[in-house]
Amino acid sequence: MTLLLDSVRAWCWLLHKDLLREWRAPRGWSGMLLLAVVLAALIEMQLELPRELKRGLVAGLFWLAAFFAGTLALERSFAAERECGCWSALLLYPVAPGTIFLAKLTANFLALCLVDAVLVAAFTIFSDVPLLTRPAAFAGILLLANLGFASVGTLLGALTSGIQQRGSLLVLLLLPLVSPVILSAAQATRLLLADSPGDWQRWAQLLAVFAVVFVSLGTLVFEFLTED
Amino acid sequence: MLRLARFDAPPETDAAPLSVRGLSCALSGRTILRDVSLTITAGEAVAILGANGSGKTTLLKCLTGRLRPNAGEVRWFDRPAHRTPSARHSIGFAGHDVALYPELTARENLVFAARMHGLPDPDRIADEALRRVGLERHAGQFAGRLSRGMQQRVAIARAVIHAPPIVILDEPFTSLDADGRQWLEDWLNGQRIRNRTLVWTSHDDAQTRRLATRQLELHNGDLIDLAHPLPANRRRCA
Repeated sequence: MTLLLDSVRAWCWLLHKDLLREWRAPRGWSGMLLLAVVLAALIEMQLELPRELKRGLVAGLFWLAAFFAGTLALERSFAAERECGCWSALLLYPVAPGTIFLAKLTANFLALCLVDAVLVAAFTIFSDVPLLTRPAAFAGILLLANLGFASVGTLLGALTSGIQQRGSLLVLLLLPLVSPVILSAAQATRLLLADSPGDWQRWAQLLAVFAVVFVSLGTLVFEFLTED
Repeated sequence: MLRLARFDAPPETDAAPLSVRGLSCALSGRTILRDVSLTITAGEAVAILGANGSGKTTLLKCLTGRLRPNAGEVRWFDRPAHRTPSARHSIGFAGHDVALYPELTARENLVFAARMHGLPDPDRIADEALRRVGLERHAGQFAGRLSRGMQQRVAIARAVIHAPPIVILDEPFTSLDADGRQWLEDWLNGQRIRNRTLVWTSHDDAQTRRLATRQLELHNGDLIDLAHPLPANRRRCA
């Protein structure tokens, strides 16, 4: 029990440190959020379609925009640790690697939630598609998709953080691995936006399974990915 | 399964704080360390010399358990060093990079380190650590805005905040001005008096002769004991 409490305490302080750093030096956030807004505006301007057709498309486009803006957030996550040499020092603390993974995952998850909040606002303003007609269900899809996206992104971020040109490498590895998340989230959102919502829960279940698998996998293999 | 770590004091044992047996390491096909063996007893101050690229940093990474060697092993107090979170209480490491979070103040960096080690009353410990390195007046300054010498002091304070019995420093004198060098020399001497085991890398032969109880040199992957530079001793410094 004491061991678990120690790990929970370490997780809290790691997360506190990451959030405090982001709050004081929000490097890259302006670019990331601007990208989200520009993507939403561009997509909307190109879609001069009847409202019914647009509903079907907006779900996919929303998640595509979330992927691009979210990838920027994930890239920064480990770059900020590496650039001041803090990553090696962090791994020398007597803290289980799985705890470090879970803290990084939580920070990335919160960053993705912020990106999504901006995207939802931008899509709501620029398009006349009501994304928030079923807010609780939509929030559930957002949370599950972000958890899956963040777990894969945190794993790959750790894997590629010691490699030069890691930015492009991260995108190359991330896209095929998170495709199931983007597709499931887009499908669930499309069904949710329809006048009579279809079986969106099945896609939400798939998102949940994906998140559970990658969070568990990351906790187990993180220490091997962070070896020099 | 999630591996948990907890505060675990260094064992009270007669075992050598640091021992290395048959350590070999190759990176990108190039041999960096070849069958290195070494035993460092409590209170020893060991300086490792060597040209740039001779493998000093690689050896220190192995000693801290950060790098898994191709062969051989590193033990702290006769416990395997590699990937043992709780055993990491035994060592303190300050690398070539100061590894301080620039957006956090000097004090916040130390409080964070104390928390990661699970120490009680981290605020008081951080203040005490800053006082010991003479930076109590700079406690509230962001680490990124401190001079290189001050950053180095904070980095060393962070490395020893949990009073580890083994302290490993990678080129600690780099970028320090005359005052900083003098401070670090005094600090190293003070640690020796406290019976702490010290290992550091350096390029300065004269300085290490003054400070170290033992000088080793890395040359072509071999670790040579400079007190006994005979061919028979070229590979085994135990």
